[in-house]
Amino acid sequence: MASRRRMLLKVIILGDSGVGKTSLMNQYVNRKFSNQYKATIGADFLTKEVQFEDRLYTLQIWDTAGQERFQSLGVAFYRGADCCVLVYDVNVMKSFENLNNWREEFLLQASPSDPENFPFIVLGNKVDIDGGNSRVISEKKAKAWCASKGNIPYFETSAKEGFNVEAAFQCIARNALKNEPEEELYLPDTIDVSGGQQQRSTGCEC
Amino acid sequence: MHAVTEDEEKWLAAGITGLQQNAFYMHRALDSNNLKDALKYSAQMLSELRTSRLSPQKYYELYMRAFDELRKLEMFFREETKRGCSVVELYELVQHAGNILPRLYLLCTVGSVYIKSKEAPAKDILKDLVEMSRGIQHPLRGLFLRSYLSQVSRDKLPDLGSEYEGDADTVSDAVEFVLQNFTEMNKLWVRMQHQGPAREKEKREKERSELRDLVGKNLHVLSQIEGVDLDMYRETVLPRILEQVVNCKDEIAQGYLMDCIIQVFPDEYHLQTLETLLGAFPQLQPSVDIKMVLSRLMERLSNYAASSADVLPEFFQVEAFAKLSSAISKVIEAQDDMPVFGVVTLYSSLLTFTLQVHPDRLDYVDQILGACVKKLSGKGKLEDNKSRKQIVALLSAPLEKYNDIDTALKLSNYPNVMEYLDDGTKKEMASVIIQSIMKNKSLISTSEKVEALFELIKGLIKDLEENLLELDEEDFHEEQNSVARLIQMLHNDDPEEMLKIITTVKKHILTGGAKRLPFTVPPLIFNSLKLIRRLQNQEETVADEDASATPRKIFQLLNQIIEALSSVPKPELALRLYLQCAEAADDCDLEPVAYEFFTQAYLLYEEEISDSKSQVTAMHLIIGTLQRMHVFGVENRDTLTHKATGYSAKLLKKPDQCRAVYACSHLFWVDDQDSIKDGERVLLCLKRALRIANAVQQMANATRGSSGSVLLFIEILNKYLYFFEKGVTQITVASVQSLIELITNEMQGENSTSDPTADAFFASTLRFIQFQKDKGGAVGERYEAIKL
Ligand SMILES: Nc1nc2c(ncn2[C@@H]2O[C@H](COP(=O)(O)OP(=O)(O)OP(=O)(O)O)[C@@H](O)[C@H]2O)c(=O)[nH]1
Ligand SMILES: [Mg+2]
Repeated sequence: MASRRRMLLKVIILGDSGVGKTSLMNQYVNRKFSNQYKATIGADFLTKEVQFEDRLYTLQIWDTAGQERFQSLGVAFYRGADCCVLVYDVNVMKSFENLNNWREEFLLQASPSDPENFPFIVLGNKVDIDGGNSRVISEKKAKAWCASKGNIPYFETSAKEGFNVEAAFQCIARNALKNEPEEELYLPDTIDVSGGQQQRSTGCEC
Repeated sequence: MHAVTEDEEKWLAAGITGLQQNAFYMHRALDSNNLKDALKYSAQMLSELRTSRLSPQKYYELYMRAFDELRKLEMFFREETKRGCSVVELYELVQHAGNILPRLYLLCTVGSVYIKSKEAPAKDILKDLVEMSRGIQHPLRGLFLRSYLSQVSRDKLPDLGSEYEGDADTVSDAVEFVLQNFTEMNKLWVRMQHQGPAREKEKREKERSELRDLVGKNLHVLSQIEGVDLDMYRETVLPRILEQVVNCKDEIAQGYLMDCIIQVFPDEYHLQTLETLLGAFPQLQPSVDIKMVLSRLMERLSNYAASSADVLPEFFQVEAFAKLSSAISKVIEAQDDMPVFGVVTLYSSLLTFTLQVHPDRLDYVDQILGACVKKLSGKGKLEDNKSRKQIVALLSAPLEKYNDIDTALKLSNYPNVMEYLDDGTKKEMASVIIQSIMKNKSLISTSEKVEALFELIKGLIKDLEENLLELDEEDFHEEQNSVARLIQMLHNDDPEEMLKIITTVKKHILTGGAKRLPFTVPPLIFNSLKLIRRLQNQEETVADEDASATPRKIFQLLNQIIEALSSVPKPELALRLYLQCAEAADDCDLEPVAYEFFTQAYLLYEEEISDSKSQVTAMHLIIGTLQRMHVFGVENRDTLTHKATGYSAKLLKKPDQCRAVYACSHLFWVDDQDSIKDGERVLLCLKRALRIANAVQQMANATRGSSGSVLLFIEILNKYLYFFEKGVTQITVASVQSLIELITNEMQGENSTSDPTADAFFASTLRFIQFQKDKGGAVGERYEAIKL
């Protein structure tokens, strides 16, 4: 099905403030990293073209504010997401503990039709810091949590060094692609019989 | 209220239906490459965004749907241009849409494709779009339109290194575009405040607060522009933003946007423009919550300072402390009615900052505390919970930073701040202080510091003005135990100083009252005894004649301290402590002192300890201690043992008497003291014990017709055996033998009741005798004579 909708893959990045959501996105899209912390306000996206099996897709990557007070308009942009990326900082316990809140909040607000199988991906970021010596969450622990939530794929990343970022987003894109789009099938009620048939036939063509 | 939200849901649903309907036809047009229809239906679809009925959050839902549809349209436009349709023409074409709002959305969408096509400089197209957006003056609709513009242009700004970067200074074009959009959005947002009836102010403010991120987002976009280096930030970006913030004179916008500036731009920039940034604060509306914003700034900078030692020079170079400190004073001065909470929050943040950036500048810390005191002095004691918590945080910060109470004790204003706490908070703070000392095992090593410390923790040391009525018993015990541990920890290697410390502690704890003394006196006594032991070890080497720290003097002090317990009254505890001291005095060879302590203990025994159980315990303590004493000459010893046996025989219950009396036998025969080998009196004690045991038995026979406790006899037999083995000649084989017989008869007697404990005890005693017999040698020989 080569509908326009399918060429666009919508990804939402969630996680506590400061875990590196913006940095991961910038590293992936622009191959840039800055040590400076600049808080995100509200939500917006960057796009990146990705290729799969000879077809080009546009990844629409939504970066969000981890600080609650900068998310005043609500989360209407969750709608239609194909994949949700949960990020935490392997050096900050609280950010890991909050993953579940982020996940549940997403499921509640985005209300995907099949929440059990909605694609999530977890990224444990900042593995570069202190050569990993200041980690408080082990890979094993993170993987166990991911396994308990329906085998969520897990990546350890460093936005700073670009480590595993590409691989993680490849996986993100692949899983987004697998997600069945939830097009609300809309049939205008004023449509006449012939129009209805016409509509059906166009539907089949695409 | 409920009806309103229900209506809103209906309107939203209607809007979505309208939108979907037009989107449906738009899709068909896109699929059949029908540009004309695509434009027609997309414009109709976008007309749904012209509603004024939705709250911002609901409008956002509708907007997001339109937004998603517009992505498809954008792709279509791009394909169209690839098929040869001129983007310039497209840009012209969409301007024919009838309504202005749909037209502008379409224009932005084509504009995005236009910029991408690079057929015209990005800057010109952006300028055009941002100018044309002025056409929407309805705040809600305008804000969303402009954030749409901001979103679609986000990756097309002529930034440094971007593919849209032009030849000359295009970064400033990018900045100019975003700044202009920001300014216009802020104006729309502020204008909302003044539209509509006054009674809807609350609703309006809620709506404005929901919309704020649309405005703030622009600052985030600015911060992400690569080309905004420090210079451009200092020269253009910050002044322009601040100008808008200050001039809009809107309380909500000012508080929020200042916060945004602080969060969105990097720390280095803040440090280098601190003066400009701080300079804006006094120009804000008085109702802006400046303390919140300022303390967030300081929090940010503190974290930055903590991130690496390498950044600290930046702080010194710009004199950040001085600037922040003066900004805070100005704010506090200007806002005379700022509640205590605000004041303390500000100082607390500044303190955290200082501890992080200037850990070596205790004078700064003290200065902050001093300023705090000055402000508090006008306000009396803190009443509200929030302020109290904040002040506890303020006072805890130096302790946590330095991990060392010593440093805090050097802060002259520290106790002054404590003065303004209510009694409950004083106690809480005292606990925090003690915990910090425990955790860090801090040594408090001079009397001066101890004095200062006890002054600080006086909330735990004595009753403050408020009474103790609400006090929870368990909490109280925990508190006092922590004080006890603290007392135990005080130490100085120099005996003179240690004595001063003890004297200081004594002074403080004696004010503690009856409930506290039982907790605080014992650790002080034990700590003092430690000192005495130390002196005693030293004395052999150096004997300093003029020293005031002599065991004798310390014992005098201890006598006074224990005496304080008499007011409690806790005679059992006091007695125990007297005996401890007596034993220590014994080690120091101070006979009169030891005798004095015993006399005190006896006095307590006679006059204060009246409960029979306590008497028994006390008696055994006395006997045990006395037995271990070496220092007494014959006369003193006689007096004391005589009394002890006398007391023993007068205990209330006969079995207790019996046991105490046979215990007294040990007072007359001590292994390691040649002078105490008085077999006559040992025998006297044991015989006396036997007589009492007899009496017990007779009494039992008389009352219950059964044999009394044979246990006492067996116990006495064991004493006999003990002294027999020691070679006390007065304890003869015959006497042992007859005692064994007596017990055997007793146990086999007609009216004896079986007592398994006694049976077992007796059996093991006999086994012991047999064992000693079998040993051979001198012991075996002695036991040989006993026939079983
Ligand atoms: N060492 C290291 N630092 C990182 C890494 N990723 C991000 N950071 C730093 O962490 C800080 C926060 O990163 P952001 O990407 O802004 O965090 P965020 O999750 O977007 O934060 P919010 O926008 O507040 O939600 C910045 O100072 C980054 O430089 C990483 O992989 N390694
Ligand atoms: Mg971010």
